Amino acid sequence: MVMVTGGAYQGKTAYAMRKFGLAENDVADGSAASREALKNARCISNYQELVRRLGDDSIAFTEELCRCNRKAVVIMDEIGCGIVPVDKSERVWRENVGRCGCIIAANSDTVVRMVCGIPAVIKGDKGDKS
Amino acid sequence: MTTLITGGSKCGKSSFAEKMLEGFPGRKVYIATMQPFGEDASEAIERHRKMREGKDFETVEKYTDIHEISLGMNCAVLLECMGNLCANEMFSGSEVVCPAEKIVSGIKMLAENVSELVIVTNQVGSDGISYPGGTADYIRALGKINRRIAGFADNVIECVYGVPVLLKGEMPC
Repeated sequence: MVMVTGGAYQGKTAYAMRKFGLAENDVADGSAASREALKNARCISNYQELVRRLGDDSIAFTEELCRCNRKAVVIMDEIGCGIVPVDKSERVWRENVGRCGCIIAANSDTVVRMVCGIPAVIKGDKGDKS
Repeated sequence: MTTLITGGSKCGKSSFAEKMLEGFPGRKVYIATMQPFGEDASEAIERHRKMREGKDFETVEKYTDIHEISLGMNCAVLLECMGNLCANEMFSGSEVVCPAEKIVSGIKMLAENVSELVIVTNQVGSDGISYPGGTADYIRALGKINRRIAGFADNVIECVYGVPVLLKGEMPC
C-alpha cells in the first residue's frame, strides 16, 4: 500500500497519477464510490470524505481495506492540525480521520507527504524524490 | 534528554512517546494535564489510561503549575499534553493571561531535574480559520511555547498519521 497525504490542494492526486501511471478511471473518489469499488480500486482519493460518510464504521472498513486491497494508493488530506471543533460530529470525524490515517500509514510501505506539489517520503525509500 | 513530540489530532503522538520510554530501566512518571471535565475528556483520559496499562507508568495529575513538580534525577517523565496545560493556565483564572513564560520556565526546570523528559504537544494553527479573542490568543500562546521548547529540546519529532518525522536532533527510537 502507498499513502499520499498533506494539506488540501498540495498536488497529491497529480503526484499519485504521475508516479504510479494512473488514469482517471483508476481513481475511486472516497466521497462517492461504493465499498466494493473501493476494495478493487487502484487508487482511492478523498479518503477523509469516506471517513465522514462511514462514521464510526470507518475504522473497521479501513482495517478490512488494508487486508483486501494491499496495492492501493490512498490519498488523504491531513486535517488534524487545528483547534478542536465545537461541533461534536466534526470532532468525531476529525478523530476518526486520525485513527484511519494511522491504520493506512502502518499498512503502507511508503508514505509521502506533499507540500506545494513537492513530495517528501516520510516512510519507505526516503531518497526517492521523483 | 528532552524530546518534544508534536502533530495533529489522533496521529500517534502518545504511542510514539510511550514507545520511546519503553526500555527505560528506572521510574517512569506520566504527568497528565487533562482535566476530567465533560464526556470527551473523560473518554480521552480512559483511552490513554488503557494505552498505558502494563507499561509501568506512575500517573501524576497536574493541571497547572508544572514548576511545582519535584521528581528524582533518575526518572523518566512523559508530560501529556501541552495543549491542555496551556489552556488550563490561560482559562482557569478570572482573566486570560499568556502562560508562555511560566510554562516554559517550569518545563526547563523539569528538564534539568530528570533524566528523560518527553513532552507531547499539538499543532493547532493550521486550520486556516480566524478565531475570535481567546482562541486566537491560545493559538498564539501554544505556538510560542512550542517554539521555545523546541529551541532547547534535544529532539523534536512530528507525527503524521503515526509516521514520525524528525525535525531536530536524532530519532530516539
